[in-house]
Amino acid sequence: MKYFGGIDIGSTTIKIVLIDGRHHIVADVTCPTGSHFHKNTMAAFEGLLADSNIRRDDVVYIFSTGYGRKLFKESDETISEITANAIGANGLCESHESIQTIINIGGQDLKVIQLDREGQIENFAMNDKCAAGTGRFLEMTARNLEVEVDELGKYHERAQGVPITINSTCTVFAESEIISLLANGHGKEELIAGVHYSIAKRVARLAKRFGMEGTVFFDGGPAKNQGLVNALEDELMRQVIVPDTPQITTAYGAALLAWEAYDDMGEAVNG
Amino acid sequence: MDNEQLRRVRKTTRLHLAMEAEETLQRIEDFPDKPAAMNYFYSMFRDTYIGTPALPMAKKIIATMCMQVPLELILAADAIPLRLCSGANAYDQIGAEFMPSKSCPVVKATIGMLHVNQTLWGNSLRSIVIPTTCDQKKKAIELLGDMGYPIYTLEMPSSKDSDRARFYWQEAVKQFAIDLQKFTGNRITTKKVQAAIAKIADAAGLFRKLYELRRSTPPLILGTDLFLVNNAYFIDDIDRWRQAVATLIAELEERRENKVSATNRQAQRILFTGSPPIFPNFKVPILVEQSGGIIVADETCSSTRLFSDSVAYDEAGLNDIVPAIADRYLKPSTCPCLTPNSDRLRKLVTMARETGADGVIYQALSGCLPYEMEQKLVNQTLAEKGIPMLYIETDYSPEDMGQLSTRVEAFIESLKARNKKKIKTK
Repeated sequence: MKYFGGIDIGSTTIKIVLIDGRHHIVADVTCPTGSHFHKNTMAAFEGLLADSNIRRDDVVYIFSTGYGRKLFKESDETISEITANAIGANGLCESHESIQTIINIGGQDLKVIQLDREGQIENFAMNDKCAAGTGRFLEMTARNLEVEVDELGKYHERAQGVPITINSTCTVFAESEIISLLANGHGKEELIAGVHYSIAKRVARLAKRFGMEGTVFFDGGPAKNQGLVNALEDELMRQVIVPDTPQITTAYGAALLAWEAYDDMGEAVNG
Repeated sequence: MDNEQLRRVRKTTRLHLAMEAEETLQRIEDFPDKPAAMNYFYSMFRDTYIGTPALPMAKKIIATMCMQVPLELILAADAIPLRLCSGANAYDQIGAEFMPSKSCPVVKATIGMLHVNQTLWGNSLRSIVIPTTCDQKKKAIELLGDMGYPIYTLEMPSSKDSDRARFYWQEAVKQFAIDLQKFTGNRITTKKVQAAIAKIADAAGLFRKLYELRRSTPPLILGTDLFLVNNAYFIDDIDRWRQAVATLIAELEERRENKVSATNRQAQRILFTGSPPIFPNFKVPILVEQSGGIIVADETCSSTRLFSDSVAYDEAGLNDIVPAIADRYLKPSTCPCLTPNSDRLRKLVTMARETGADGVIYQALSGCLPYEMEQKLVNQTLAEKGIPMLYIETDYSPEDMGQLSTRVEAFIESLKARNKKKIKTK
């Protein structure tokens, strides 16, 4: 049995996906990147192999992507996360309508990728200069409100009042703003909802550069947050499609590319 | 826009509006020790901006912009006046599609609001009356007409001093009275007009009491609260408004008895003038009162100017009364769309002296050329009288609050220092 690996080494988390010859995800793992990229990625990879009972030799091709892609010596090829994300999104999306916009919110960046009708990348825009509209903003919020990041969506759902407006776009200034709002007795739920709208507004501003048509696909770790998804739909004023496993979309795309590259080499692939 | 898209735009806009309104109301309510009578106004704005559909469903609405449209005639025609001038950033974003990027946010927001809420008025909106005041209102007439709204152009002169101008306006107002009867299907009689004049005079009388209470030493009510009360006049039922204001006055008079002040002794007294602060855009007034100032007077068309003057007529016939109404709306006007505007300069100096203002804060909304251009003359005039002025140019977005607060605080601190020096040198 041959397997193909996609490794997305992000600024905040490492995602590894292994697929079989039919493109099914057979194993995946997500863990913190930490400071030692190579060591932590190796550990995650070896751990994943052990947990899923797969031998290293059975993984016949590996593509790495993401911020730290060039640092992982074990991969056969590297690819930008923009391309990997586009391929992963198209692979995961079951809708017949072709995806035209991909919004990816990562730990430290925010990307909008515009695709043409054939699924090729036409254009993209990034915010990688500041933490506004990124996972970091959510982490800061969770820390200050003393909740877990993956609980934020639940709190948003419970909000009864109007979401609190967060005026600062800068994460650093927004932190002060949130702390003072909290001190003034505002509810956690409404504050969290307000944070989601603030991020969504920032994202919408970037996304609107491309005048969105067609299906909008949203991935990255923060896409697991249903509150954020709802806020994004409100700010974009359109429906947004989120895959079941949004955080590993890019790694999945890298794995698909690994399969394609191996296939191109003329080797037979057993199902 | 297809139906689904329109539904989404409305949903999101309504949410943004609610968020802005809630934020402003919380900032206003944040000041300690508010008169209980203010709760009527806080609730009214909450219900209008945060509750479900923010459109009044009265039977016959005559909507207006600016303050030059004679409300007495609208009331006499048994219709409800509704001032549309919008202070919402949410609507401003939508209106941006229709107007140049640097243009009057009041007009932009109003256009945005009307665009999003098309078809929601039903049969109640009989006319939108827009006086030909500034350039942007004039062009808005065309844009809104294009949207399918029933717009009525009320022709106002650019100058008010000559007899020609006075007559021109009187004729426009007379025709407006005739047309109002057509829109509403109701007759305007002398009795009805007299009753309407009395009602509005009563409202003005109540405001004058508030004005006295606001400018007393120490001040008994915050300027931000007063702006809210006067903004409520745009949209509230006039009888309910009068009732609520009477209650507020009674409470403030009681506070005066008990020596309860709206602020501390060190608060610097500020006269606020310029482009109108309209709910929820109370950004600058709130900053002023958060920074150690208190607004004891204002010269704006969303507040004090609404109530400054009364209708004076000799003969009790419509031929005399209607021109008298016209006069009331033109002669005392200090809107910068008029030239010359020496009345405004005089008024500002008189008001500053009368209310013991320590300084003047002049707000111009970016893109509002008349106010932006007049600031130089106003600054000069005030400087000659030894009255310090701070000029602020801003728009509806909250992004400049950080820089603005620094400038406002610095200005107020300089007023404090100035006053300390005055006391020392006495």
